[in-house]
Amino acid sequence: MAELGRAALVLSLGLVVYALVGGALAAHLRRRRFVLSAQNALVASFATTLVASAVLLSALVRHDFSFDYVAGHTSRTLPLAYTISAFWGGQEGSLLLWLLVLTGYGAAAVLLHRRAARDVVTWAVPVIGGVATFFGILLVFVASPFNTQLAPADGAGMVPSLQNPYMLAHPPMLYLGYVGLTVPFAFAMGALLSGRTDERWIVVTRRWTLAAWAFLGVGQLLGSHWAYTEVGWGGYYAWDPVENAALMPWLAATAFLHSVMVQEKKNMLKVWNMLLVILAFCLSIFGTFLTRSGVINSIHSFTQSSIGGWFLGFIVVIVVVSGLALRARLPQLRARTKLESPISREASFLYNNLLLVALCLTILWGVAFPILTQAVRGETFTVGKPYYDFFLKAFGLPLLLLMGIGPLVAWRRSSLRALGRTFAWPALLALAVAAVLLALGAGSSGPGMIAYTFSAFVLGSIALEFVRGTRARHALGGETWGSAFSSLVARNRRRYGGYVVHAAVVLLAIGIAGSSLYGRTVERKLSVGQSMSVRGYSLRYLGLQQSKSANATETRALLALGGRAHGTLTTGTNFYPVEQSSSREVGIHTNWLRAEDLYVILDQSGPKGSVFLKVLVKPLVNLIWVGGFVFVLGSVVALWPDAREERRLALRYAEGVPARA
Amino acid sequence: MTLALVLAAVLAVAVVVFVARPFLREPAPASDRLDEPGVLERRQLALAEERDRALAALKELEFDHRTGKISDEDYRALVGPLRRQAAEALRALEPRAGSARAATRDPEHEHL
Amino acid sequence: MVALSIAAVLAVFLLYTALAGAGTPSLSPSKLAGHSGRVSLSGNVIGPVRGDAHGAGLRFGLRDIEGGSKTTVPVLYRGTVPDLFRANRHVVVDGTLRSGVFVAVPGTLVTKCPSKYAPAKTSGNSDT
Repeated sequence: MAELGRAALVLSLGLVVYALVGGALAAHLRRRRFVLSAQNALVASFATTLVASAVLLSALVRHDFSFDYVAGHTSRTLPLAYTISAFWGGQEGSLLLWLLVLTGYGAAAVLLHRRAARDVVTWAVPVIGGVATFFGILLVFVASPFNTQLAPADGAGMVPSLQNPYMLAHPPMLYLGYVGLTVPFAFAMGALLSGRTDERWIVVTRRWTLAAWAFLGVGQLLGSHWAYTEVGWGGYYAWDPVENAALMPWLAATAFLHSVMVQEKKNMLKVWNMLLVILAFCLSIFGTFLTRSGVINSIHSFTQSSIGGWFLGFIVVIVVVSGLALRARLPQLRARTKLESPISREASFLYNNLLLVALCLTILWGVAFPILTQAVRGETFTVGKPYYDFFLKAFGLPLLLLMGIGPLVAWRRSSLRALGRTFAWPALLALAVAAVLLALGAGSSGPGMIAYTFSAFVLGSIALEFVRGTRARHALGGETWGSAFSSLVARNRRRYGGYVVHAAVVLLAIGIAGSSLYGRTVERKLSVGQSMSVRGYSLRYLGLQQSKSANATETRALLALGGRAHGTLTTGTNFYPVEQSSSREVGIHTNWLRAEDLYVILDQSGPKGSVFLKVLVKPLVNLIWVGGFVFVLGSVVALWPDAREERRLALRYAEGVPARA
Repeated sequence: MTLALVLAAVLAVAVVVFVARPFLREPAPASDRLDEPGVLERRQLALAEERDRALAALKELEFDHRTGKISDEDYRALVGPLRRQAAEALRALEPRAGSARAATRDPEHEHL
Repeated sequence: MVALSIAAVLAVFLLYTALAGAGTPSLSPSKLAGHSGRVSLSGNVIGPVRGDAHGAGLRFGLRDIEGGSKTTVPVLYRGTVPDLFRANRHVVVDGTLRSGVFVAVPGTLVTKCPSKYAPAKTSGNSDT
């Protein structure tokens, strides 16, 4: 069966090369049947990649250890769900997933938009084909999932830290996001190459970008939650290069989602939008490169391999080609309208973009720093948490404030007096909250106070938007408050969905500020029967227990909770004999009233059953996860198709195209 | 093993046929040329976008005014130029066939 | 105005790098000699691993991961020991070289999983 898989991949490669070369030729020569043929090739490449994926999946499920890949990443005792997750758990399989999602997205994008945006799609096909060719070459010549061997009795098994439900959700979500950014990129290139630089490519790819961005965001939140609950060092984000690899394209995509609104409304920032979408895509490829190449010291690491060089070369090709295309169309993209006032919604979008891109680039600088210093100084230097924390505050806090200001400022220009009036309520709320917080002792952290105050301001302004809109709609007459609210949101999905997403980001900000700046950590050695207390929680150590599960020996310290918490908590380690490794299983007690966690790590067991515990109190950390759900809700609202708008757009594009014979 | 090869061969044939389909369906077409939008069409599209932008800006101004974000005086100051812009955009499109139909369909009365 | 904003952003960046210095050197054991100040050392753990990280200190050696150098740097570590720590594992630890012994900053010991894709971070970072 491996031959079928290999053959299917070779077919995929052939098809995407045809889509690339044939598609480009057809677009250039404007040959209708040839163009259709190239589109068919792209669609067919999804089918062949699907076949290859099915072969790998079935080999995994059947425990066919004659497949190198299956033997290397699974074992007979591995539960089915994790065996399936092994598909994307290793280098070759994850590349196959990339190609599968890419061809899938490509086929869908082509099929959905080839009528409305014919000229753009005509050129988008060779671009998608080009990206797919890269991955196809890797899969066929460099990292094939279908290498075979003499089947051993059992496989090597899966690293215990990957054996958890997150492994089923986190990587696929991230891939749907990463790969999803290829579609807006391809359509942007399509617009440049075809010369159709009107806003059609933006309108058509708007939902794709939003969806990819949402997946990428959710994927990162899942990864953070995984790190928090399973990896268990007490944190959820370590500024590890691989974590940053997902954050950077997400920040660029966030900037893009905002600046396209300026292009739609004011026909400005066209060049900037092109640059952003190219940046977002390059960063997503760069992210994949980082995760695989081993070029940067990271905790997540695939096998150290030469595959990194290929990715680097690919990024160079992308930058050169897109740069040339952009330069060729520069005159067409130059804006005729200018920014009228530094206090306007256009301007606040611009500030938002600058801050997001600045944050993105500083992270990029931090990630690339070791490579650069090695090349320039001959010695590797790394930057640590203080670097990232500083810039997160320097750029993130103004961004937080801007989320509250932006929606309240009018387009073109806003007088300061008008601003004063609209800001009044949210600002008052923020000051009131600040006063209360100071009284409660939150003044211990300056940045924390700022974050909380700004958050209150933003939440106030969002609430005000909803209230104002509902009230105005209700005033039109004929609707109850409830239906006024729902029809308000239904008729302005992007706006109000966006506000909900902003609210989610605020929750995230509050959660991050609370848990990083107002927490407490205590390390203590406890013998049986001893107690300790931290921030109103008391923990009494009752003893050590050992038990056996299907593939692990579980050691747990039992603790009785008192004070702010009740019940018991266990924390400990699992030892996996097959893989000869252990993993920490932390104990987390959530205090929902305060949205905070009591986080207990069993560091070490000492003599006579005593234990070394590390106890952390993490205030408001659960707002991060709540924010994640709100994020999904807001994205769904914003993504929900609007029939009226679709009709209007279809009409507009129908006008520009003569009736077809 | 041979099953794998047979399946691969079937897949290959299917794929090649699918890719060649456009040529097979129309072996001798009247025109194989992909029409490029002419200068007139492009202008039409640009004007349609202008019109939509102007109308959307008006709609948003009404919305912001009705919800109290923009004061009465600011509204009075801004609505004039925007209405003029929208009227110009509509006028520019009028001489072209089909746009009259489109103009009446605009959701002008749906400010919220 | 755009130029002004960009200038402001750059200013923030330059201010930071000027004040905070330019990163921590990341070295392998064979290159450690002569470095004073805090560095990040990465290498292979060489046994025997002795002592108690929560007591007088855990003692082990670090050698270059590749390159075949035989230099072994003795390390003294106190603090949280990550799950996967053992001899022949690739680790990274921050610290300072003092009289021939690399005295580690507590809680900065991080292990890397051997070669599979594995988010095996279990260091002592407790803030984020």
